[in-house]
Amino acid sequence: MTAAIETTHLTRTFDGRVAVEDLSVSIAEGSVFGFLGPNGAGKTTTVRMLAALIAPTAGAATVAGHRLGVDDDALRRSVGILTESPGLYDRLSARQNLTYFARLYDLTRAKAAEQVDRYLRMLELWERRDDPVGTFSKGMRQKLAIARALLHEPPVLFLDEPTAGLDPEAARTVRDFVAMLRREGRTIFLTTHNLPEADELCDVIAIFQRRLLRMGTPAQLRAGLFDAGTIVRVAGEARTFVAALRALPFVRDVTADGDRLSLHVDDPDARNPDVVDALTRAGARIRYVEPIRHSLEDVYLRLMSGGAP
Amino acid sequence: MTKALVVFEKEWLEIRLQRGLLLATLAVPPLITVFALLVFLLAGLTPGGVSTGGFPLPPDLAGLSSRELAQAIVGKQFSVIFFLLPVFIPSVIASYAIVGEKRERTLEPLLATPIRTSQLLLGKSLAALVPSVVITLACALLFVLGITEWAVTPRVAGVIATPGWWAVLLVDMPLLSLIGVALIVIVSSRVNDPRTAQQVSAVLIVPVLGLLFGQLTGELVLNVPFALVGALVLALCALVALRLATDLFAREAILTRWR
Repeated sequence: MTAAIETTHLTRTFDGRVAVEDLSVSIAEGSVFGFLGPNGAGKTTTVRMLAALIAPTAGAATVAGHRLGVDDDALRRSVGILTESPGLYDRLSARQNLTYFARLYDLTRAKAAEQVDRYLRMLELWERRDDPVGTFSKGMRQKLAIARALLHEPPVLFLDEPTAGLDPEAARTVRDFVAMLRREGRTIFLTTHNLPEADELCDVIAIFQRRLLRMGTPAQLRAGLFDAGTIVRVAGEARTFVAALRALPFVRDVTADGDRLSLHVDDPDARNPDVVDALTRAGARIRYVEPIRHSLEDVYLRLMSGGAP
Repeated sequence: MTKALVVFEKEWLEIRLQRGLLLATLAVPPLITVFALLVFLLAGLTPGGVSTGGFPLPPDLAGLSSRELAQAIVGKQFSVIFFLLPVFIPSVIASYAIVGEKRERTLEPLLATPIRTSQLLLGKSLAALVPSVVITLACALLFVLGITEWAVTPRVAGVIATPGWWAVLLVDMPLLSLIGVALIVIVSSRVNDPRTAQQVSAVLIVPVLGLLFGQLTGELVLNVPFALVGALVLALCALVALRLATDLFAREAILTRWR
Protein backbone atom coordinates (compact mmCIF):
# COMPACT_ATOMS: atom_id res chain seq x y z
CA MET A 1 0.00 0.00 0.00
CA THR A 2 1.29 3.49 -0.84
CA ALA A 3 2.34 5.73 2.02
CA ALA A 4 0.48 9.02 2.34
CA ILE A 5 2.90 10.26 4.98
CA GLU A 6 6.44 9.07 5.39
CA THR A 7 8.96 10.51 7.81
CA THR A 8 12.60 9.59 8.17
CA HIS A 9 14.48 10.55 11.33
CA LEU A 10 12.36 13.66 11.62
CA THR A 11 13.72 15.83 14.41
CA ARG A 12 12.96 19.29 15.71
CA THR A 13 14.72 21.23 18.42
CA PHE A 14 13.92 24.62 19.92
CA ASP A 15 16.94 26.45 21.29
CA GLY A 16 18.70 23.17 21.98
CA ARG A 17 15.63 21.53 23.55
CA VAL A 18 14.52 18.48 21.61
CA ALA A 19 10.78 18.53 20.89
CA VAL A 20 10.64 15.69 18.37
CA GLU A 21 13.42 13.14 18.07
CA ASP A 22 14.17 10.80 15.23
CA LEU A 23 10.60 10.11 14.18
CA SER A 24 10.35 7.55 11.38
CA VAL A 25 6.87 6.42 10.42
CA SER A 26 5.03 5.35 7.31
CA ILE A 27 1.31 5.97 7.20
CA ALA A 28 -0.73 4.13 4.59
CA GLU A 29 -3.09 6.00 2.29
CA GLY A 30 -6.67 5.94 3.49
CA SER A 31 -5.85 5.03 7.06
CA VAL A 32 -6.51 6.80 10.34
CA PHE A 33 -3.27 7.23 12.24
CA GLY A 34 -3.59 7.99 15.94
CA PHE A 35 -0.80 9.97 17.53
CA LEU A 36 -1.03 9.69 21.29
CA GLY A 37 1.07 11.30 23.93
CA PRO A 38 0.90 13.51 26.99
CA ASN A 39 0.84 17.31 26.90
CA GLY A 40 4.16 18.69 25.69
CA ALA A 41 5.11 15.39 24.06
CA GLY A 42 5.73 17.07 20.69
CA LYS A 43 2.51 16.08 18.95
CA THR A 44 1.60 19.59 17.79
CA THR A 45 5.20 20.22 16.71
CA THR A 46 5.03 17.07 14.60
CA VAL A 47 1.76 18.15 13.00
CA ARG A 48 3.18 21.60 12.31
CA MET A 49 6.23 20.10 10.63
CA LEU A 50 4.15 17.76 8.48
CA ALA A 51 1.83 20.60 7.47
CA ALA A 52 4.87 22.68 6.40
CA LEU A 53 4.22 25.28 9.08
CA ILE A 54 7.61 24.85 10.68
CA ALA A 55 10.74 23.25 9.29
CA PRO A 56 12.39 20.19 10.78
CA THR A 57 15.86 20.58 12.28
CA ALA A 58 16.86 17.24 10.79
CA GLY A 59 15.34 14.37 8.88
CA ALA A 60 12.91 14.33 5.99
CA ALA A 61 9.25 13.80 5.28
CA THR A 62 6.98 13.27 2.32
CA VAL A 63 3.31 14.15 2.64
CA ALA A 64 0.82 13.35 -0.12
CA GLY A 65 3.74 12.86 -2.48
CA HIS A 66 5.32 16.25 -1.74
CA ARG A 67 8.68 16.53 -0.05
CA LEU A 68 8.74 18.73 2.99
CA GLY A 69 10.96 21.78 2.52
CA VAL A 70 11.11 21.26 -1.25
CA ASP A 71 7.56 21.68 -2.43
CA ASP A 72 5.83 23.29 0.55
CA ASP A 73 3.19 25.22 -1.42
CA ALA A 74 2.00 22.03 -3.14
CA LEU A 75 2.17 20.19 0.17
CA ARG A 76 -0.04 22.82 1.83
CA ARG A 77 -2.56 22.47 -1.01
CA SER A 78 -2.70 18.72 -0.37
CA VAL A 79 -3.32 18.82 3.35
CA GLY A 80 -6.05 20.15 5.59
CA ILE A 81 -5.36 21.04 9.18
CA LEU A 82 -7.53 21.40 12.23
CA THR A 83 -5.34 23.32 14.64
CA GLU A 84 -5.39 23.03 18.43
CA SER A 85 -7.52 26.16 18.63
CA PRO A 86 -10.22 26.56 15.94
CA GLY A 87 -8.82 29.99 14.98
CA LEU A 88 -11.88 31.57 13.40
CA TYR A 89 -12.71 35.20 12.73
CA ASP A 90 -15.42 35.94 15.28
CA ARG A 91 -16.87 38.98 13.52
CA LEU A 92 -17.29 37.19 10.23
CA SER A 93 -20.12 34.77 9.53
CA ALA A 94 -19.58 31.04 9.08
CA ARG A 95 -19.92 31.47 5.33
CA GLN A 96 -17.50 34.41 5.19
CA ASN A 97 -14.92 32.51 7.24
CA LEU A 98 -15.06 29.51 4.93
CA THR A 99 -15.14 31.55 1.74
CA TYR A 100 -11.98 33.39 2.77
CA PHE A 101 -10.06 30.17 3.27
CA ALA A 102 -11.51 28.53 0.16
CA ARG A 103 -10.17 31.44 -1.90
CA LEU A 104 -6.77 31.19 -0.18
CA TYR A 105 -6.70 27.54 -1.24
CA ASP A 106 -7.02 28.74 -4.85
CA LEU A 107 -10.66 27.78 -5.39
CA THR A 108 -12.48 29.97 -7.89
CA ARG A 109 -15.34 32.09 -6.54
CA ALA A 110 -17.94 29.69 -7.94
CA LYS A 111 -16.20 26.57 -6.67
CA ALA A 112 -15.59 28.21 -3.29
CA ALA A 113 -19.28 29.04 -2.95
CA GLU A 114 -20.21 25.47 -3.89
CA GLN A 115 -17.80 23.89 -1.41
CA VAL A 116 -18.74 26.27 1.38
CA ASP A 117 -22.43 25.48 0.97
CA ARG A 118 -21.69 21.75 0.78
CA TYR A 119 -19.74 21.61 4.03
CA LEU A 120 -22.03 23.98 5.89
CA ARG A 121 -24.90 21.60 5.10
CA MET A 122 -22.85 18.48 5.78
CA LEU A 123 -21.79 19.68 9.21
CA GLU A 124 -25.28 20.94 10.07
CA LEU A 125 -24.27 24.60 10.20
CA TRP A 126 -26.44 25.72 7.29
CA GLU A 127 -29.10 27.37 9.45
CA ARG A 128 -26.45 29.53 11.12
CA ARG A 129 -24.44 30.25 7.97
CA ASP A 130 -24.86 34.02 8.13
CA ASP A 131 -24.42 34.43 11.89
CA PRO A 132 -21.17 35.81 13.30
CA VAL A 133 -18.95 32.97 14.43
CA GLY A 134 -18.47 34.75 17.76
CA THR A 135 -22.00 33.64 18.66
CA PHE A 136 -21.26 29.94 18.00
CA SER A 137 -20.90 27.24 20.65
CA LYS A 138 -17.58 25.45 21.02
CA GLY A 139 -18.92 22.41 19.17
CA MET A 140 -20.13 24.53 16.26
CA ARG A 141 -16.80 26.33 16.06
CA GLN A 142 -14.99 23.02 15.98
CA LYS A 143 -17.25 21.73 13.20
CA LEU A 144 -16.66 24.92 11.24
CA ALA A 145 -12.90 24.54 11.66
CA ILE A 146 -13.16 20.97 10.37
CA ALA A 147 -15.16 22.23 7.38
CA ARG A 148 -12.43 24.78 6.72
CA ALA A 149 -9.82 22.01 6.66
CA LEU A 150 -11.82 20.16 4.01
CA LEU A 151 -12.81 22.92 1.58
CA HIS A 152 -10.04 22.15 -0.90
CA GLU A 153 -10.66 18.38 -0.62
CA PRO A 154 -7.21 17.46 0.67
CA PRO A 155 -6.23 13.79 0.57
CA VAL A 156 -4.41 14.16 3.91
CA LEU A 157 -5.95 15.65 7.05
CA PHE A 158 -4.29 16.62 10.30
CA LEU A 159 -6.72 16.79 13.18
CA ASP A 160 -5.18 18.09 16.39
CA GLU A 161 -7.38 17.14 19.35
CA PRO A 162 -10.62 17.35 17.35
CA THR A 163 -12.95 16.51 20.25
CA ALA A 164 -11.09 18.26 23.07
CA GLY A 165 -13.50 20.20 25.27
CA LEU A 166 -16.62 19.16 23.36
CA ASP A 167 -19.77 17.85 24.99
CA PRO A 168 -20.49 14.14 24.35
CA GLU A 169 -23.01 14.84 21.60
CA ALA A 170 -20.72 17.21 19.69
CA ALA A 171 -17.80 14.83 20.19
CA ARG A 172 -19.90 11.99 18.76
CA THR A 173 -20.77 14.10 15.69
CA VAL A 174 -17.10 14.86 15.12
CA ARG A 175 -16.09 11.22 15.53
CA ASP A 176 -18.80 10.10 13.10
CA PHE A 177 -17.57 12.69 10.64
CA VAL A 178 -13.98 11.46 10.97
CA ALA A 179 -15.20 7.92 10.34
CA MET A 180 -17.01 9.15 7.23
CA LEU A 181 -13.86 10.89 5.98
CA ARG A 182 -11.98 7.64 6.41
CA ARG A 183 -14.59 5.86 4.31
CA GLU A 184 -14.00 8.49 1.62
CA GLY A 185 -10.41 7.27 1.49
CA ARG A 186 -8.66 10.21 3.10
CA THR A 187 -5.62 9.73 5.25
CA ILE A 188 -6.15 11.14 8.72
CA PHE A 189 -3.43 12.00 11.19
CA LEU A 190 -5.24 12.31 14.49
CA THR A 191 -3.71 13.54 17.72
CA THR A 192 -5.82 12.95 20.78
CA HIS A 193 -5.83 12.39 24.53
CA ASN A 194 -9.07 10.50 24.23
CA LEU A 195 -7.96 6.87 24.25
CA PRO A 196 -11.35 5.23 23.62
CA GLU A 197 -11.69 7.60 20.66
CA ALA A 198 -8.32 6.50 19.29
CA ASP A 199 -9.27 2.88 19.86
CA GLU A 200 -12.53 3.39 17.97
CA LEU A 201 -11.21 5.40 15.03
CA CYS A 202 -7.60 4.51 14.40
CA ASP A 203 -6.16 1.77 12.22
CA VAL A 204 -2.68 2.35 13.56
CA ILE A 205 -1.65 4.10 16.76
CA ALA A 206 1.69 5.59 17.67
CA ILE A 207 2.43 6.33 21.28
CA PHE A 208 4.80 9.21 21.42
CA GLN A 209 6.69 11.18 23.99
CA ARG A 210 9.32 13.26 22.22
CA ARG A 211 10.23 10.03 20.43
CA LEU A 212 8.20 7.12 19.18
CA LEU A 213 7.60 4.67 22.03
CA ARG A 214 5.42 2.10 20.29
CA MET A 215 3.42 1.78 17.10
CA GLY A 216 0.92 -0.75 15.80
CA THR A 217 -2.73 -1.57 15.47
CA PRO A 218 -4.65 -1.32 18.75
CA ALA A 219 -4.67 -5.15 18.94
CA GLN A 220 -0.92 -5.34 18.30
CA LEU A 221 -0.24 -2.79 21.01
CA ARG A 222 -2.27 -4.78 23.51
CA ALA A 223 -0.68 -8.07 22.53
CA GLY A 224 2.77 -6.58 22.68
CA LEU A 225 2.40 -5.41 26.24
CA PHE A 226 0.08 -7.84 27.95
CA ASP A 227 -0.08 -11.62 28.10
CA ALA A 228 -3.12 -13.20 26.53
CA GLY A 229 -5.54 -14.57 29.05
CA THR A 230 -8.99 -15.82 29.91
CA ILE A 231 -11.52 -14.99 32.56
CA VAL A 232 -13.82 -17.76 33.79
CA ARG A 233 -16.78 -17.03 36.01
CA VAL A 234 -18.07 -19.96 38.00
CA ALA A 235 -20.94 -20.64 40.35
CA GLY A 236 -19.61 -20.33 43.89
CA GLU A 237 -16.12 -19.58 45.14
CA ALA A 238 -13.56 -19.47 42.38
CA ARG A 239 -10.54 -20.12 44.64
CA THR A 240 -11.76 -23.78 45.01
CA PHE A 241 -10.66 -24.40 41.41
CA VAL A 242 -7.29 -22.67 41.37
CA ALA A 243 -5.39 -25.90 42.03
CA ALA A 244 -7.11 -27.67 39.14
CA LEU A 245 -6.01 -24.96 36.76
CA ARG A 246 -2.44 -24.74 38.10
CA ALA A 247 -2.14 -28.44 37.29
CA LEU A 248 -2.49 -27.64 33.58
CA PRO A 249 1.00 -27.27 32.02
CA PHE A 250 0.07 -24.42 29.66
CA VAL A 251 -1.42 -22.17 32.36
CA ARG A 252 1.16 -19.67 33.54
CA ASP A 253 -0.67 -17.75 36.20
CA VAL A 254 -4.04 -18.07 37.95
CA THR A 255 -5.74 -15.68 40.33
CA ALA A 256 -9.18 -15.94 41.93
CA ASP A 257 -11.44 -13.14 43.03
CA GLY A 258 -15.00 -13.99 44.17
CA ASP A 259 -16.53 -15.99 41.34
CA ARG A 260 -13.81 -14.94 38.87
CA LEU A 261 -10.77 -16.88 37.77
CA SER A 262 -8.16 -15.03 35.72
CA LEU A 263 -5.55 -17.13 33.97
CA HIS A 264 -2.79 -16.38 31.51
CA VAL A 265 -2.21 -18.80 28.66
CA ASP A 266 -0.27 -18.40 25.42
CA ASP A 267 -3.03 -19.27 23.01
CA PRO A 268 -6.46 -18.85 24.60
CA ASP A 269 -8.35 -19.89 21.44
CA ALA A 270 -6.64 -23.28 21.45
CA ARG A 271 -6.41 -23.79 25.19
CA ASN A 272 -9.79 -22.63 26.45
CA PRO A 273 -11.57 -26.01 25.69
CA ASP A 274 -8.96 -27.76 27.90
CA VAL A 275 -9.48 -25.16 30.62
CA VAL A 276 -13.23 -25.72 30.52
CA ASP A 277 -12.74 -29.52 30.62
CA ALA A 278 -10.43 -29.32 33.63
CA LEU A 279 -12.81 -27.05 35.52
CA THR A 280 -15.79 -29.27 34.74
CA ARG A 281 -13.89 -32.33 35.93
CA ALA A 282 -13.13 -30.47 39.15
CA GLY A 283 -16.85 -29.94 39.63
CA ALA A 284 -17.12 -26.31 38.53
CA ARG A 285 -20.33 -24.99 37.04
CA ILE A 286 -19.21 -22.46 34.47
CA ARG A 287 -21.21 -19.30 33.89
CA TYR A 288 -19.04 -17.37 31.41
CA VAL A 289 -15.71 -17.68 29.58
CA GLU A 290 -14.28 -14.49 28.08
CA PRO A 291 -10.90 -13.13 27.05
CA ILE A 292 -9.06 -10.69 29.31
CA ARG A 293 -9.42 -7.31 27.60
CA HIS A 294 -6.87 -4.57 28.08
CA SER A 295 -7.96 -1.10 27.18
CA LEU A 296 -5.81 1.23 25.17
CA GLU A 297 -5.59 3.23 28.36
CA ASP A 298 -3.83 0.26 30.01
CA VAL A 299 -1.38 0.17 27.10
CA TYR A 300 -0.82 3.91 27.22
CA LEU A 301 -0.33 4.10 30.96
CA ARG A 302 2.07 1.20 30.96
CA LEU A 303 4.18 2.80 28.24
CA MET A 304 4.11 6.18 29.93
CA SER A 305 5.12 4.69 33.25
CA GLY A 306 8.10 3.08 31.57
CA GLY A 307 6.86 -0.38 32.49
CA ALA A 308 6.84 -1.71 28.96
CA PRO A 309 9.26 -4.48 27.97
CA MET B 1 -1.66 39.27 -6.42
CA THR B 2 -5.01 37.45 -6.35
CA LYS B 3 -4.39 36.17 -2.86
CA ALA B 4 -3.32 39.61 -1.69
CA LEU B 5 -6.68 40.87 -2.95
CA VAL B 6 -8.47 38.04 -1.14
CA VAL B 7 -6.74 39.11 2.07
CA PHE B 8 -7.56 42.75 1.32
CA GLU B 9 -11.25 41.91 0.81
CA LYS B 10 -11.47 39.99 4.07
CA GLU B 11 -9.62 42.67 6.03
CA TRP B 12 -11.84 45.37 4.64
CA LEU B 13 -14.91 43.28 5.48
CA GLU B 14 -13.72 42.96 9.07
CA ILE B 15 -13.05 46.70 9.28
CA ARG B 16 -16.55 47.45 7.97
CA LEU B 17 -18.02 45.21 10.66
CA GLN B 18 -16.25 47.23 13.36
CA ARG B 19 -18.39 50.34 13.14
CA GLY B 20 -16.66 52.06 16.07
CA LEU B 21 -13.21 51.61 14.60
CA LEU B 22 -14.40 52.62 11.16
CA LEU B 23 -16.06 55.76 12.44
CA ALA B 24 -13.16 56.73 14.71
CA THR B 25 -10.70 56.22 11.88
CA LEU B 26 -12.51 57.71 8.94
CA ALA B 27 -14.33 60.57 10.67
CA VAL B 28 -11.12 62.45 11.47
CA PRO B 29 -10.24 63.69 7.95
CA PRO B 30 -13.69 65.21 7.22
CA LEU B 31 -13.72 66.91 10.63
CA ILE B 32 -10.26 68.39 10.08
CA THR B 33 -11.27 69.52 6.59
CA VAL B 34 -14.37 71.28 7.86
CA PHE B 35 -12.33 72.92 10.62
CA ALA B 36 -9.67 74.01 8.12
CA LEU B 37 -12.28 75.53 5.84
CA LEU B 38 -13.92 77.41 8.72
CA VAL B 39 -10.61 78.90 9.80
CA PHE B 40 -9.85 79.74 6.16
CA LEU B 41 -13.22 81.45 5.83
CA LEU B 42 -12.73 83.43 9.05
CA ALA B 43 -9.25 84.48 7.94
CA GLY B 44 -10.81 85.97 4.83
CA LEU B 45 -13.42 87.81 6.88
CA THR B 46 -10.90 89.52 9.16
CA PRO B 47 -11.03 93.13 7.91
CA GLY B 48 -7.34 93.95 8.40
CA GLY B 49 -5.94 90.65 7.24
CA VAL B 50 -2.44 89.98 8.59
CA SER B 51 0.66 92.07 8.84
CA THR B 52 4.01 90.47 8.08
CA GLY B 53 5.69 92.81 10.56
CA GLY B 54 8.52 93.37 8.16
CA PHE B 55 9.40 89.68 7.81
CA PRO B 56 10.24 88.70 4.25
CA LEU B 57 7.56 86.61 2.59
CA PRO B 58 8.18 83.45 0.59
CA PRO B 59 8.26 84.28 -3.13
CA ASP B 60 4.92 82.65 -3.89
CA LEU B 61 3.17 84.86 -1.34
CA ALA B 62 4.74 88.10 -2.52
CA GLY B 63 2.31 90.68 -3.80
CA LEU B 64 -0.75 89.38 -1.96
CA SER B 65 -3.00 91.75 -0.08
CA SER B 66 -3.21 91.40 3.68
CA ARG B 67 -6.57 89.54 3.51
CA GLU B 68 -5.29 87.31 0.73
CA LEU B 69 -2.16 86.72 2.76
CA ALA B 70 -4.19 85.72 5.84
CA GLN B 71 -6.07 83.11 3.87
CA ALA B 72 -2.99 81.93 2.00
CA ILE B 73 -0.98 81.34 5.21
CA VAL B 74 -3.89 79.52 6.88
CA GLY B 75 -4.60 77.50 3.75
CA LYS B 76 -0.95 76.51 3.23
CA GLN B 77 -0.62 75.31 6.81
CA PHE B 78 -3.75 73.21 6.59
CA SER B 79 -2.85 71.89 3.15
CA VAL B 80 0.11 70.01 4.65
CA ILE B 81 -2.25 68.17 7.00
CA PHE B 82 -3.39 66.14 4.02
CA PHE B 83 0.13 64.71 3.83
CA LEU B 84 -0.02 63.73 7.51
CA LEU B 85 -3.44 62.10 7.57
CA PRO B 86 -2.57 59.02 5.47
CA VAL B 87 0.30 58.33 7.82
CA PHE B 88 -1.87 58.40 10.92
CA ILE B 89 -5.20 57.02 9.72
CA PRO B 90 -3.98 53.52 8.76
CA SER B 91 -1.91 53.09 11.91
CA VAL B 92 -4.82 51.69 13.94
CA ILE B 93 -5.80 49.23 11.22
CA ALA B 94 -2.25 48.23 10.33
CA SER B 95 -1.19 47.77 13.93
CA TYR B 96 -3.80 45.04 14.31
CA ALA B 97 -2.72 43.40 11.05
CA ILE B 98 -0.67 40.63 12.64
CA VAL B 99 -1.25 41.24 16.34
CA GLY B 100 -4.99 40.77 15.76
CA GLU B 101 -4.40 37.44 14.04
CA LYS B 102 -2.16 36.36 16.89
CA ARG B 103 -4.75 37.35 19.46
CA GLU B 104 -7.60 35.53 17.73
CA ARG B 105 -5.33 32.53 17.09
CA THR B 106 -6.19 32.65 13.41
CA LEU B 107 -2.61 32.89 12.20
CA GLU B 108 -1.86 29.17 12.25
CA PRO B 109 -4.69 28.08 9.94
CA LEU B 110 -3.93 31.10 7.79
CA LEU B 111 -0.25 30.20 7.43
CA ALA B 112 -1.23 26.60 6.72
CA THR B 113 -2.76 27.77 3.44
CA PRO B 114 -0.53 28.14 0.38
CA ILE B 115 -0.23 31.90 0.83
CA ARG B 116 3.16 33.56 0.58
CA THR B 117 4.27 35.99 3.26
CA SER B 118 4.54 38.78 0.68
CA GLN B 119 0.93 38.16 -0.45
CA LEU B 120 -0.35 38.17 3.12
CA LEU B 121 1.47 41.36 4.06
CA LEU B 122 0.57 43.13 0.82
CA GLY B 123 -3.11 42.33 1.36
CA LYS B 124 -3.00 43.56 4.93
CA SER B 125 -1.05 46.69 3.96
CA LEU B 126 -3.53 47.53 1.19
CA ALA B 127 -6.44 47.12 3.61
CA ALA B 128 -4.93 49.77 5.84
CA LEU B 129 -3.67 51.98 3.02
CA VAL B 130 -6.53 52.18 0.52
CA PRO B 131 -9.30 53.52 2.78
CA SER B 132 -7.04 56.14 4.30
CA VAL B 133 -5.72 57.33 0.94
CA VAL B 134 -9.21 57.44 -0.54
CA ILE B 135 -10.70 59.40 2.35
CA THR B 136 -7.73 61.76 2.39
CA LEU B 137 -7.99 62.45 -1.33
CA ALA B 138 -11.73 62.99 -1.03
CA CYS B 139 -11.21 65.45 1.83
CA ALA B 140 -8.37 67.18 -0.04
CA LEU B 141 -10.71 67.66 -2.99
CA LEU B 142 -13.35 69.07 -0.65
CA PHE B 143 -10.70 71.37 0.83
CA VAL B 144 -9.72 72.66 -2.61
CA LEU B 145 -13.34 73.21 -3.59
CA GLY B 146 -13.88 75.07 -0.32
CA ILE B 147 -10.89 77.37 -0.63
CA THR B 148 -11.75 78.04 -4.26
CA GLU B 149 -15.26 79.02 -3.24
CA TRP B 150 -14.39 81.07 -0.15
CA ALA B 151 -11.08 82.66 -1.15
CA VAL B 152 -11.22 86.45 -1.19
CA THR B 153 -9.67 86.35 -4.65
CA PRO B 154 -8.89 83.50 -7.07
CA ARG B 155 -5.15 84.15 -6.49
CA VAL B 156 -5.38 82.65 -2.97
CA ALA B 157 -6.47 79.20 -4.04
CA GLY B 158 -3.75 79.29 -6.68
CA VAL B 159 -0.93 79.69 -4.15
CA ILE B 160 -2.30 76.90 -1.92
CA ALA B 161 -3.37 74.15 -4.31
CA THR B 162 -0.36 74.42 -6.59
CA PRO B 163 0.56 71.74 -9.14
CA GLY B 164 3.41 70.82 -6.79
CA TRP B 165 0.98 70.33 -3.88
CA TRP B 166 -1.24 68.15 -6.07
CA ALA B 167 1.74 66.12 -7.21
CA VAL B 168 2.92 65.52 -3.64
CA LEU B 169 -0.64 64.65 -2.61
CA LEU B 170 -1.26 62.22 -5.45
CA VAL B 171 2.16 60.61 -5.78
CA ASP B 172 4.27 61.09 -2.65
CA MET B 173 1.56 60.88 -0.01
CA PRO B 174 0.38 57.31 -0.88
CA LEU B 175 4.01 56.17 -0.95
CA LEU B 176 4.70 57.74 2.44
CA SER B 177 1.58 56.09 3.75
CA LEU B 178 2.72 52.73 2.34
CA ILE B 179 6.07 53.08 4.12
CA GLY B 180 4.24 53.85 7.34
CA VAL B 181 1.99 50.84 6.96
CA ALA B 182 4.92 48.55 6.14
CA LEU B 183 6.81 49.73 9.22
CA ILE B 184 3.76 49.18 11.41
CA VAL B 185 3.27 45.70 9.95
CA ILE B 186 6.92 44.88 10.69
CA VAL B 187 6.49 45.89 14.31
CA SER B 188 3.03 44.29 14.49
CA SER B 189 4.52 40.92 13.56
CA ARG B 190 7.11 41.16 16.31
CA VAL B 191 5.09 42.43 19.27
CA ASN B 192 1.92 41.39 21.06
CA ASP B 193 0.53 44.84 21.74
CA PRO B 194 -0.91 46.88 18.86
CA ARG B 195 -0.11 50.15 20.68
CA THR B 196 3.59 49.47 20.28
CA ALA B 197 3.11 49.09 16.54
CA GLN B 198 1.09 52.31 16.35
CA GLN B 199 3.93 54.30 17.87
CA VAL B 200 6.05 53.61 14.82
CA SER B 201 3.91 55.85 12.67
CA ALA B 202 5.03 58.79 14.79
CA VAL B 203 8.48 58.49 13.20
CA LEU B 204 7.04 59.47 9.85
CA ILE B 205 5.80 62.80 11.15
CA VAL B 206 9.33 64.12 10.90
CA PRO B 207 9.57 64.39 7.09
CA VAL B 208 6.04 65.79 6.90
CA LEU B 209 6.84 68.44 9.50
CA GLY B 210 9.91 69.23 7.43
CA LEU B 211 7.59 69.93 4.49
CA LEU B 212 5.40 72.16 6.64
CA PHE B 213 8.17 74.30 8.08
CA GLY B 214 10.10 74.33 4.83
CA GLN B 215 7.06 75.77 3.10
CA LEU B 216 6.38 78.35 5.79
CA THR B 217 9.90 79.66 5.77
CA GLY B 218 10.05 79.65 2.01
CA GLU B 219 13.07 77.33 2.06
CA LEU B 220 11.08 74.65 0.32
CA VAL B 221 8.85 75.02 -2.68
CA LEU B 222 6.48 72.18 -3.42
CA ASN B 223 6.78 71.99 -7.15
CA VAL B 224 6.36 69.10 -9.56
CA PRO B 225 10.09 68.26 -9.89
CA PHE B 226 10.37 68.18 -6.11
CA ALA B 227 7.38 65.83 -5.92
CA LEU B 228 8.78 63.52 -8.61
CA VAL B 229 12.24 63.31 -7.06
CA GLY B 230 10.57 62.73 -3.69
CA ALA B 231 8.41 60.02 -5.24
CA LEU B 232 11.49 58.20 -6.52
CA VAL B 233 13.11 58.27 -3.09
CA LEU B 234 9.88 57.26 -1.36
CA ALA B 235 9.20 54.45 -3.85
CA LEU B 236 12.65 53.06 -3.14
CA CYS B 237 12.05 53.34 0.61
CA ALA B 238 8.63 51.69 0.22
CA LEU B 239 10.16 48.77 -1.67
CA VAL B 240 12.82 48.35 0.99
CA ALA B 241 10.20 48.57 3.75
CA LEU B 242 7.97 45.96 2.09
CA ARG B 243 10.92 43.66 1.47
CA LEU B 244 12.03 44.15 5.06
CA ALA B 245 8.51 43.38 6.30
CA THR B 246 8.51 40.12 4.33
CA ASP B 247 12.02 39.13 5.41
CA LEU B 248 11.40 39.92 9.07
CA PHE B 249 8.11 38.06 9.19
CA ALA B 250 9.34 34.97 11.01
CA ARG B 251 6.52 32.46 10.50
CA GLU B 252 8.02 29.87 12.82
CA ALA B 253 8.83 32.25 15.63
CA ILE B 254 5.33 33.72 15.48
CA LEU B 255 3.73 30.29 15.67
CA THR B 256 5.98 28.70 18.25
CA ARG B 257 6.97 31.53 20.57
CA TRP B 258 3.83 33.61 20.79
CA ARG B 259 1.35 32.56 23.47
